[in-house]
Amino acid sequence: MKSVRARNASAWLVPNDGTRDNAVLRRDMRRFDDDDEVDLAVVGCGAGGSVLTQRLARAGWRVVALDAGPFWDPDRDFVSDEAGSHHLYWTEPRVIAGSDPVPLGSNNSGRGVGGSMVHYAGYTPRFHPSDFEMLTRDGVGADWPIGYADLRPYYELLEHELPVAGQSWPWGDPHNYPHSPHPVGGNGEVFLRGATRLGIDVRVGPVAITSGRFGNRPHCIYRGFCLQGCKVNAKASPLVTHIPDALAHGAEVRDRCMVSRIAFDERTGLVCGVHYLRDGVEHLQRARAVAVAGYSIETPRLLLNSSGPRFPDGMCNDHDMVGRYLMVQGAPQVAGRFEQEVRAYKAPPPEVSSEAFYETDRAKPYVRGFSLQSVAPLPISYSEHVAGQGHWGAALRGYMRDYVHWSVLGALCDFLPLPDNRVTVDAQTDRHGLPVARMTYSQGDNDRLLVKAATDVLQDILRAAGASDTMTVERYAHLVGGARMAARAEQGVVDAFGRSFAIPNLWLAGGSTLPTQGSANPALTIMAMAARVADHLLGRPRPWAG
Amino acid sequence: MTAGRPPGGTDRFPGFDVLSQAGRWDAVTTEVVLGRLEPPPPLRFFTAAEQDTAAALFDQLLDQRQEPRIPVLSMVDTRLAAGQTDGWRYEDMPEDGAAFRLSVAGLDADAQVAAGVDFGSLPWDQQAQLVQAVQVCTGTWRDLPAARVWSLWTRYACTAFYSHPWAWSEIGFGGPAYPRGYGNLGMDRREHWEVRDAAPTTPLPDA
Repeated sequence: MKSVRARNASAWLVPNDGTRDNAVLRRDMRRFDDDDEVDLAVVGCGAGGSVLTQRLARAGWRVVALDAGPFWDPDRDFVSDEAGSHHLYWTEPRVIAGSDPVPLGSNNSGRGVGGSMVHYAGYTPRFHPSDFEMLTRDGVGADWPIGYADLRPYYELLEHELPVAGQSWPWGDPHNYPHSPHPVGGNGEVFLRGATRLGIDVRVGPVAITSGRFGNRPHCIYRGFCLQGCKVNAKASPLVTHIPDALAHGAEVRDRCMVSRIAFDERTGLVCGVHYLRDGVEHLQRARAVAVAGYSIETPRLLLNSSGPRFPDGMCNDHDMVGRYLMVQGAPQVAGRFEQEVRAYKAPPPEVSSEAFYETDRAKPYVRGFSLQSVAPLPISYSEHVAGQGHWGAALRGYMRDYVHWSVLGALCDFLPLPDNRVTVDAQTDRHGLPVARMTYSQGDNDRLLVKAATDVLQDILRAAGASDTMTVERYAHLVGGARMAARAEQGVVDAFGRSFAIPNLWLAGGSTLPTQGSANPALTIMAMAARVADHLLGRPRPWAG
Repeated sequence: MTAGRPPGGTDRFPGFDVLSQAGRWDAVTTEVVLGRLEPPPPLRFFTAAEQDTAAALFDQLLDQRQEPRIPVLSMVDTRLAAGQTDGWRYEDMPEDGAAFRLSVAGLDADAQVAAGVDFGSLPWDQQAQLVQAVQVCTGTWRDLPAARVWSLWTRYACTAFYSHPWAWSEIGFGGPAYPRGYGNLGMDRREHWEVRDAAPTTPLPDA
């Protein structure tokens, strides 16, 4: 294992003077011309694209990473305020359809360098070994073309690179975390007490929030605005970790660049760069290879919008697999009322979790399972919870005046991947004239049973902790899939290393390639997958040579 | 800075004013939050013909019956004029701005049928009945899916209202906390400047 200082160099790259962004690193960033044929153009600087860029830059590759949004500066761009953080979300138009349409934007779609990890809660659990063999074990979903063992070394690396704080983890592949767990606030106390009374195993963590000062990253101040972008740099996101490291090793991060289509050479059958729009001007960045890491909506959209003579139905879509098997997790939340003040807004919303119900239980009428986590919504999110009960007017105001007495816990349910849950492109176009994404989503019977079971357990825990009343809302969280990896081209878009079946120098890195989702928050797995793609690329001749 | 409470209800946190902490907030957050206390700019999205109805709708949704109100109408108007949506629409709903125009016109049409006046001119209780009728409608209302209209109304109204520091003071929320942070975590623990709920056994409201 490398020394902490070598592995976590980024923790010393952020300033130590009370400011949060290394302006010198950004000012002196290497810059390529559009006509420079770089080794790799990466589309998207979130969990996947940032890790890939950092790995290849460290190995000396010439890499440009483009992001549609801004290069955030936590001092200038982040606020301790819910409504004032609207700009962190992807709010370009999208259409949602199906029998259970999934609202997008704030809860599941990031914008700018760092991606959704800028506003994720901070939970970083691993997937379980069973998630990779769902079809074999449970007869549903899919098997991955790789196993848990293939990803395990990358999980271990990333848990140290972020780093992750939490108690020893007894579920899935049991493991320890590099940082000790955080103290908990009122919401975490409720969860621990209720679960313990029922004999349900729970643990503090795992969160990518440094426990104590780490390098130049200060201690968490428990301000509770993790979902609005961490102003402290205590919560890890690529903006704090892998992007500064990538810049220090010669990568270019080019922000405010909306990639409109992947450039394809019909003669060679290879991609040769990316077309993008910056300040309304169209550019073509030339590249010897391209990696798309635009998450589960924009990655399929970009492929579908990159049609041409060779790919009349969208790039890499020979088998009508682009956009399919898009997944969201069912994420019901239950609030419980306590006469004592909980004041859940203090401390990070991610505090305590349990994977005791993660695996298939043959005694139950459903397969797969769910995880449980503390969530602690701030006032606007909580008002949606209350309004979701049908309360409005004086009743809404009355429930809201009771805010400090409520604890809120959530579940993540392993909704199954289904072929008709997919991204297509709509007739509507955005301000660039590009067809917008249309996301169609419908739940299956197993999905509904999981939500019911998870909701019952959350209510039981809150009651056991002493709650006098409960309120439940159904919602969704996270996105993965949409361009999944598979053993064969007829079953997916990319192979076991993220390389597209159709084009030898086009890779996908990130959330879109996941064939199943488990009940775990996806950030750590997306990063681990990208790190594995990077190792694969680094094992090949550079620059790419067929 | 004007300390305050939105109109209506009992004061559960007597003397608590989240703005008393504004001197400990970072400059960017302070500008964003205190900006909400500035006099509302002229409306840009809702037309003169739509304003009274939209204002009455938001008053109903948030039970604001007199001044000084949290300026929900203005806050929603600013968002809609800027096209600041949440980044999605249902396939059977128009974009948010168009949906607001159609639904405001729909309330006026309902009011005309009921009483021969626009929605904004109805007495409070009659307005409430028309709003409730949309909430309980399980099908389409004025050619729009009623549940999705309801979701649109409450989403914009709640986001505006509960972004305002007067609402934070009303509910006892400690507000922005950078760079100070929170020091006293746990059940029934408060910062020295937070105020205990004076009526923790208040019965929950009926729907």
